[in-house]
Amino acid sequence: MLAQVADTEQGMAQRVWDWLDRISNGTDAAGNQTWDGIGAWIDTDKIPVLAAILIFAFVMFRAQKQANRGKEISIRRIAGLDALDEAIGRATEMGRPVLYVPGIDEIKEIQTIYSMMILRHVARKTAEFGTDLIVPVRDSIVLTFAEEAVKSGCLDAGRPEAFNKDNIRYLSNEQFAYCAGVAGIMTREKPAANIMLGMFFAESLILAETGFMSGAIQVAGTAKQHQLPFFVAACDYTIMGEEYFAVTAYLTREPNLLATILASDIVKLIGMTMLLIGIVMATFFAVDSLAGELTWIDVYRRLFGS
Amino acid sequence: MKREIPILLTVLSGLAIIWSFFSSYPVADAANTELLQWALIFFSVAFILGIANLVRVSLKQISSGHSDSIYKIVLLVVLFGYLFIGLAEHHEWFGASSLGGEGSVTVKDWVYSKMFIPLQATMFSLLAFFIASATFRAFRARSLESTLLLVAGTIVMLGQVPLGEEITGGYAPRWLGFLMVYINAAGQKAIIIGATLGVLATGLRIVLGIERSYLSE
Repeated sequence: MLAQVADTEQGMAQRVWDWLDRISNGTDAAGNQTWDGIGAWIDTDKIPVLAAILIFAFVMFRAQKQANRGKEISIRRIAGLDALDEAIGRATEMGRPVLYVPGIDEIKEIQTIYSMMILRHVARKTAEFGTDLIVPVRDSIVLTFAEEAVKSGCLDAGRPEAFNKDNIRYLSNEQFAYCAGVAGIMTREKPAANIMLGMFFAESLILAETGFMSGAIQVAGTAKQHQLPFFVAACDYTIMGEEYFAVTAYLTREPNLLATILASDIVKLIGMTMLLIGIVMATFFAVDSLAGELTWIDVYRRLFGS
Repeated sequence: MKREIPILLTVLSGLAIIWSFFSSYPVADAANTELLQWALIFFSVAFILGIANLVRVSLKQISSGHSDSIYKIVLLVVLFGYLFIGLAEHHEWFGASSLGGEGSVTVKDWVYSKMFIPLQATMFSLLAFFIASATFRAFRARSLESTLLLVAGTIVMLGQVPLGEEITGGYAPRWLGFLMVYINAAGQKAIIIGATLGVLATGLRIVLGIERSYLSE
């Protein structure tokens, strides 16, 4: 009986596998070419990624629709983001500047683009409080973005005169020359708050430790997991991983942006369910698959991953 | 229109790049290559803006007698001096220049390899001292979390050195393996999955024009 069930399952898995082959190559059951097949239009290896994006987009639009109808979307408290205002407030009280380091990557890196969006919020706050904001950058394209972000932040605060072009400084394109320049600003100009948000590499700990020694309150954030331990060890607050990409939604509480956070959580739930299905399949079908038989785990792998 | 046109350009460029990632169609590839060429041109032009910013800020500080003036003078001298050496050697203004040796080293190469690279290495080597000081602070057992960190850190250190293996009877490398393969890898993967979803959400928000705070007023 058990052998029969196993044979049926294997037969079904084989049929699904053949059907996937046919729609990919555009052939009929007899192997004759009847149309171009999906493979002629898109890279079939990337279909799981495309499916993930489409599912995410669908969930996001649904969440946005609900948010626009007035559904309240709550977001958990993130200490590191609350600390941004605290850090700027402290700098204002001490009459010292705020240093904003947007990481060292180029503008094509999404973390750098996002850092520019956060910079606008920070610039609005510093303009409201009348505090100087120093932004050293490593890339010349980032320089123009940073200038625009700070200018827009000052305009948002209704204080365009607070924009000081000389405080947006291009230091160097070289990693450690830039690092030395920022460390120099930390020790000579003694900012009271160091905000480091973006993509960081080996310089992360040098910057964070120099900032710690200068006595500044430090808020750091990155989605680069290898640099997180350094920031956790040396900074007062760390914004890690997905929290980093929730900053604008958290600070503005705009329903459309909050809806994307909700969508992330729903897709995460879908991902967790798929992981569980994968675990169950790997537990029950992996032995046959390793023995060379086509099983559901092979079909699952082909559809959703490697 | 000042906001609509940039949003439209972002949406179109974003969709073109996404299309080229998934499609094997030649038109998609061509669009991607063309857009990347434009980006390269922007990068080259923006480099001049960076130098202009550096010179403007430095000159202002020098003229106002800022306490950092001396550093700014050194910076400008080195910046333009190195630029001059590079141009002079490239165009052979003073004839073919070479310091001799293997591969005929030029003055530009010598300054780069004998001055700049050691300076970079010096900055990088500071990391060792900073790791020590940061670890010293992080390894204080003030709370349950920091105690766990201390214990995990101790196991990792013991597991990496022969002495640790010796004094724990060969257990330290096994504990290290367990920590790295199960606990650490699971934590890292959770952060990576969360961050990837964040990247996806942010990318879609920008490409679809939902997130507009990158646009200036």
